[in-house]
Amino acid sequence: MHKMKPFDQILSQLALTLIGLYVIIPIWGILRLAFDGALKGRPTEFHWFPKEFSVQPFLSVLDRPYQSISFTVLLQNSLLISTGAALAAVVFGMSLAYAFARFRFPGRRGGLYLTLLTAILPPIAFTTPLYLLLSWMQIRTTLLGLVIVYAAFAMPFCVWNLRAAFQAIPKELQEAAFLDGAGDFASFWRIILPLATPSIAVAALIAFLMAYSEFTIGWLFVEKAETVTLAMSIYAILTSGAAQPWSQIGSLAILMSAPVVVIFLIFQRTLLERMMFGTSSE
Amino acid sequence: MNKNLRTFLSLFSALLVFAVAFGFRTHAANNLTIDFDEDDYLRAGQEFAHLIRTDNWFGFLETNYRPEHPQLAKIMFGLSVIGLPEEPLIADLPITANPARNLPPDLLAAARKMSAIWGALTAMLLALINPLGGLILAMHSFTIKYTSQVMLDGFASLMSTSTALMYYFSKGKNGKSKTALLAASAIFLGVSASSKYLHSAVGFAILIDWFLSAKEANEIRRFFRITILWGLLSLIAFFVFNPFYWPNPLERIQVTYEAVSATTTNPNVVKANLPIWQPLVHLSSSVPWFWNEEGFLFRVDGIIFIFALFGLADTWRKNRFVAIWLFVDIFILLAWRTKWAQYILVATAPLAFVAAEGVKATGRNIAEWWRTRHQRGKEAVKPSRKETMRALPWLIPGLIAFAVLTIFPLLFQFAVSLIDLNSSTLRDGFQGGIWREFWGGITGQVKASDFVQDGKVHFVGLGVYLYISNMVGAMGLPFFNTMWTILSVTLQTVLGIGAALLLWQRGIKFRKGWQALFILPWAIPEAIGAMLWLNIFIPLWGWLSLAEQKFGATMPLGVFTNWERSQNSALVVLLIAALWYGFPFMMLAASAGLKLLPQEVFDAASIDGATPWQAFRYVAWPLLMPLVMPAIIIRAIFAFNQFYLFQMFNFINEDFNMYTFARLSYIAVYDWRWFTGSAIINIITILFLAVFIFLFNRWSKAGEGVTYA
Repeated sequence: MHKMKPFDQILSQLALTLIGLYVIIPIWGILRLAFDGALKGRPTEFHWFPKEFSVQPFLSVLDRPYQSISFTVLLQNSLLISTGAALAAVVFGMSLAYAFARFRFPGRRGGLYLTLLTAILPPIAFTTPLYLLLSWMQIRTTLLGLVIVYAAFAMPFCVWNLRAAFQAIPKELQEAAFLDGAGDFASFWRIILPLATPSIAVAALIAFLMAYSEFTIGWLFVEKAETVTLAMSIYAILTSGAAQPWSQIGSLAILMSAPVVVIFLIFQRTLLERMMFGTSSE
Repeated sequence: MNKNLRTFLSLFSALLVFAVAFGFRTHAANNLTIDFDEDDYLRAGQEFAHLIRTDNWFGFLETNYRPEHPQLAKIMFGLSVIGLPEEPLIADLPITANPARNLPPDLLAAARKMSAIWGALTAMLLALINPLGGLILAMHSFTIKYTSQVMLDGFASLMSTSTALMYYFSKGKNGKSKTALLAASAIFLGVSASSKYLHSAVGFAILIDWFLSAKEANEIRRFFRITILWGLLSLIAFFVFNPFYWPNPLERIQVTYEAVSATTTNPNVVKANLPIWQPLVHLSSSVPWFWNEEGFLFRVDGIIFIFALFGLADTWRKNRFVAIWLFVDIFILLAWRTKWAQYILVATAPLAFVAAEGVKATGRNIAEWWRTRHQRGKEAVKPSRKETMRALPWLIPGLIAFAVLTIFPLLFQFAVSLIDLNSSTLRDGFQGGIWREFWGGITGQVKASDFVQDGKVHFVGLGVYLYISNMVGAMGLPFFNTMWTILSVTLQTVLGIGAALLLWQRGIKFRKGWQALFILPWAIPEAIGAMLWLNIFIPLWGWLSLAEQKFGATMPLGVFTNWERSQNSALVVLLIAALWYGFPFMMLAASAGLKLLPQEVFDAASIDGATPWQAFRYVAWPLLMPLVMPAIIIRAIFAFNQFYLFQMFNFINEDFNMYTFARLSYIAVYDWRWFTGSAIINIITILFLAVFIFLFNRWSKAGEGVTYA
């Protein structure tokens, strides 16, 4: 191995610094507001750094970020809805995915195309009919309504993704189990499921994050402040007219996305692979 | 086939095309309301008719009403009214005035009829080399409109099409007939320019094609000798047909130049504030219904445009010149400052030709698919009854959930798209109205009605689809959404692969640190990412705006202030945000791919003396492409469906008019409570994406990776 020439090294580092600045500037732009104790509404002056460094915005966000609703209620709603949606999407998605991955039945090919199509539709394509259907059933503005909506967003992705995961497991392993007298269920339970657990977990994580970070469409399914999620409250504060407390918006956004960022940094390779629909075979 | 028979058939079909085209144009001429500028050109015609009647031939040297355009097409309008009794001159209003309420009816009818003849002749000419193309041009609604009103584009496009045709015919000829045809094309080019300047675009297309052919034949020197003569001839023709320039060419060029600058910066142009890509919006959509225009039996420009996309490859192979003609025309339309719809007539003739090739290619594909249907049936794996039984326990719960959560809503959405459901009819809809009208409508018991406002749901049928496709097309949505997808994914791919390559170099310092930093935007939820950029770009109190208040507009990046005032700069700003959000994913995909590439290959390449660019282009890229392709496709779908970014920038102001399908559909539900509209937009999106899947499954090898994974 030869080393890079110093000139190339400097040039490359320069290019990387430019990209780095591009990445960091908008993040810094919100950090500078989030830690500014002097800022009450919209920023009015240019500053590189917070005018008055303080964690006060975070503290007030952790207390009552939106109307009279406490942070814990918002977080609770977020976790409840996202977990519910992810569970529904993964459990039902898994069963369909397995059928597609292992068995030949009439309509399989057409069904595959249909799931692929639904997997690439924008969420809004499901939102309009769900809005009407759930209104009709009079559960539109409940937490269950939101669970259903987000599960519908995530399910096609889960089916498509888990099918790839199941297919990647060699059939021979299962055939060996059949020889030992195991049935379909037993072999699924003992062999497929343990091997596919990481993939299932990642699919669930992605489904969870879809619901956790969704922040505009959900407002169609909310009437009372009690069913608002953490992400949705950011949108609400943003739309609250001229007196938007930007330091609080900033700190709320940071609080909300920090766990997601950590998860992504830890699981980057797996997440990347899953998000590519399991197509990047390594 | 017998040569005589061929000639006969070709002439016959051309005549047929003329008849069809003239019919459509006459219908439009009789029904279209008076448009902007018709009064101007009719007045110019009156002036020339007066000069002819009074034998005042010297008057031609000084008369040119609206001097931003040359004389010839206006003289033609003069000829069209010469036989009619003279009427008082039409009022001289400022160029920004609204369309005239009424014009002398017999003059208007005569001038429009002449326009229609030119338009029909253009279609006929095109039919001589491509009958289907001629027919398509005959049916193109924008072309029909501006070749049946008193507009300069009808005659000008007849002349520019003749120019192209003469050159086209000359390509297969030799000797004297070649020379004659080339001379004719030069003369027609001069005439085109003296009808409407922009229509001389075809000349550039000819030069490019000519140059390429000369290069292939190694006759570059000869090319320059001949084209100089050719260009001179067309200049002379231009001068001859433009008496206005005779007395003092330089001074008259000055007059023209000033008039053109005045039109391109007139208040209407400034107010319309149309984006650079507007000509492509006009080309990809029909005449909008909300212009309240009667006179079209159908509007299929959007479909013609799509076929043109399909036909590009074939045209390039078989008729390179026509493809170049279309490209040059579009390029000039994009570069030209004024974006009014009539300007696209510069490009509709080659567009129709290319669309015809697209229709033929599609026909061939369908025939091929039909022929091989049995073969495909044999290759498919047969489902077995036993396995179906075994699959049931898994299939049933998943299928029920899938049906309830996704399939049924999609079907329900289709039902909603056929009835008029909005906030005022919602109550009736929930009390059984949706089902009543949908079922009644599709079984034919209920007739489709226009929007009736009685608080009840009504079946409206597929008519609303036509209305919304036309509206969405005129808003430029299909074109913008596609352009957005291509631009943002291209940028993301370039920066993503660039960053991956930088980090992939052996011995690069801080690799891990840079990589962790660059991943951040990917990890931040999209809506938050959009908010971060909003915080920078929002007018008045965004970081950029505050910086401008402090440092003045001359600071670096100061060019971006006031970006929200034009769609061009708004697009750039949105792309900056989308690139930020999307490039890390591409970088990760490319890095994963690069790790798989054997280092030895590059060592070998560098030993052989390949430059870094060559090593990338010919070694890394072919190996990398199949690995990056899935990521590109996923980002493309994501970009096509982009919603949060556009919705978030809504906070700029209420009229923020940049839409994707997804955002428009959301607005239809959230702001307008117009469920039918939203449902139809969603169905259009679904069709778009279905076609996308179909194409990509057919043509892309990467597709196999996805569908058969």
